Amino acid sequence: MTQSSGSSIPLRKFGHSDAQVSALGFGGHHLGEAPDEKTAVEIVHQAVDGGITFFDNCWEYRRGKTEIWMGAGLKGRRHKVFLMTKTCPHGRDADLALSMLEESLRRLQTDHLDLWQVHGMAFDNDPDLFIHPKGAAEALEKAKKDGKVRFVGFTGHHSAKVHLGMLQTGFPFDAVQMPLNAFDANFKSFECQVLPELNKRGIAALGMKPLNGHGEAIKNGVVTAAEALRYAMSLPVATTITGMDSLEVLHQNLEIAQSFKPFSEAEMQQLRDRCKQEAADGRYELYKLSLKFDNPEARLAHNFPLDNQQSEVQDMLGAQQNTGHPFPERKF
Amino acid sequence: MAENEWNRRKFIKTAAVLGTSPLVGGANVTQKQNDSTESELSGLVPRRPLGRTGVEVSGMGLGGYHLGSAETDQAATEIVAKALDHGVNFFDNAWEYHDGLSEERLGKALRGKRQQAIVMTKVCSHGRDKKIAMRMLEESLRRLQTDHLDVWQIHEVIYENDPDLIFAQNGAAEALLSAKQQGKVRFIGFTGHKDPEIHLKMLSHDFPFDTIQMPLNCCDATFRSFETQVLPEANRRGLAPLGMKSLGGSGEPVKAGAITAEQGLRYAMSLPVATTISGVDSMAVLDQNLRVAVNFQPLAASEMQSLRDHCRLFAADGHLELFKMTTKYDGKVGREQHHFPTVEQLPL
Repeated sequence: MTQSSGSSIPLRKFGHSDAQVSALGFGGHHLGEAPDEKTAVEIVHQAVDGGITFFDNCWEYRRGKTEIWMGAGLKGRRHKVFLMTKTCPHGRDADLALSMLEESLRRLQTDHLDLWQVHGMAFDNDPDLFIHPKGAAEALEKAKKDGKVRFVGFTGHHSAKVHLGMLQTGFPFDAVQMPLNAFDANFKSFECQVLPELNKRGIAALGMKPLNGHGEAIKNGVVTAAEALRYAMSLPVATTITGMDSLEVLHQNLEIAQSFKPFSEAEMQQLRDRCKQEAADGRYELYKLSLKFDNPEARLAHNFPLDNQQSEVQDMLGAQQNTGHPFPERKF
Repeated sequence: MAENEWNRRKFIKTAAVLGTSPLVGGANVTQKQNDSTESELSGLVPRRPLGRTGVEVSGMGLGGYHLGSAETDQAATEIVAKALDHGVNFFDNAWEYHDGLSEERLGKALRGKRQQAIVMTKVCSHGRDKKIAMRMLEESLRRLQTDHLDVWQIHEVIYENDPDLIFAQNGAAEALLSAKQQGKVRFIGFTGHKDPEIHLKMLSHDFPFDTIQMPLNCCDATFRSFETQVLPEANRRGLAPLGMKSLGGSGEPVKAGAITAEQGLRYAMSLPVATTISGVDSMAVLDQNLRVAVNFQPLAASEMQSLRDHCRLFAADGHLELFKMTTKYDGKVGREQHHFPTVEQLPL
């Protein structure tokens, strides 16, 4: 793998704003899978050096670990990046969302975010709860007015209908994040239903899950990582966020992004067609059909059961045992 | 599935208790709550037409899954006998329930009583071809100790591409027709608990289904609703609608305190359906169901509306209908055929 220092990744316009972001974004969740903080910091350093400017994170990822590690990695480099994190009220009120913002800023060692998004719009009533008096919409407005965040948006991986419901609230979002990959195109599709609407409105579209979340389709040989990433990056999006839990994965991604050439429409259609049959029942997009990717914070707020196998739940359980170390590693 | 079964069993006990406790929640539904006495259960569960088939079925049906959860074969036999005595004649089952135990128990319990019963079971080919479906039919007939079924349905049409697979050449739809032609089944249909749109896609094929099974309960009415989207279409086409999951699958709305078991059952039975299938794994639960079903009086339209209104906020995010929002109720065989993780790997 090449050492990518000094190379660059194409920059793209962030919606209708003057801001620009790297076409490949650094996913925050996987940073928590790095073996230790030192490795995580090194991954962040090399990502910045490799030309990634868009950094994703979230208040509820790994109980704060990923924000703390990213904050450590961005120390002295904050000005070089476009930093996003998410708030996790999951239908609860604006005050809670704002208290999460303060925590995120502290963990990320910064006084402002470039983008602050409401995390995980999943349930049919989430748009109503968001726009309800005292709902999270008021928190986004206040944080922007107070200069703590430049742009605001929302994310979700379940339902194109819920995304459209959020847009129908009329709230002036700057960005919207959603799963975009060659499987999505033929199954309950965000690409077909949400992406054109965002482009029409000039809202920055942020793609995620280019490798279907955990790369199952790649492990099973349906697509290669390079094809999958190239497909997602060829869509009309501001950036494609993908997780990187090791230097090896980072280097692989940097290589693809630095030499990125978009697929032609014909090539994209070929890939959609190749994935179509296995996309048809959602087996590679379990985030649309199950709660697998829904964190305990979301489940608790909406009265859904927890899943003890989930990393965040394991972290919660682990946190009850005082090992004398921060972030006790999970044991199976 | 072990945890699933445990949850269901655990609920049934809760529901049985709640069924005789004072009403909770603000719904404007009042119903006399009595201790179970035999005199109270004198009378029969009223019959209704099974669509256009000319057959009549009891307004409440006995769910087959829970027969496999009953403590013993003998307990299952006694449940079936008592249900028959009170006029229940509709018996649900599926090839895959408890790896065949549910069908075996029903077969044993109906020995000598087969002609009193409308026996339904389901084929679990889950996208595979006609030959496999026909083989399952033979297995079901053998386990049920009968030479014909009254109703044979395609089980768990819950994956987006299931309609395509079922209506593909040599698919399960052809098996239904063959079985009917051969006189092995009288009526045919399909079931599913996931998505009204998938049900409507099945109906759009204009296939001569006689029955259609779906979740119907007072939370469904305001959340991804089968009641509003599928039930009127089924009735317009003259299919016999069969309701299920009147208590959310494992009694989630009862455990949450949103409704009582009695309210849930009465609401479901008051809909324009041929029968409401309810799982029973003990005499206590059977009595609870019979108290509602014997001499059944439907709720008034206004009572139904106030129950829907009451449930609307509970229903809004789907947490009381996990079968629509998670994979919890999706069976093992279907997961295998669709390359989904097992229930242990993907519980929700």
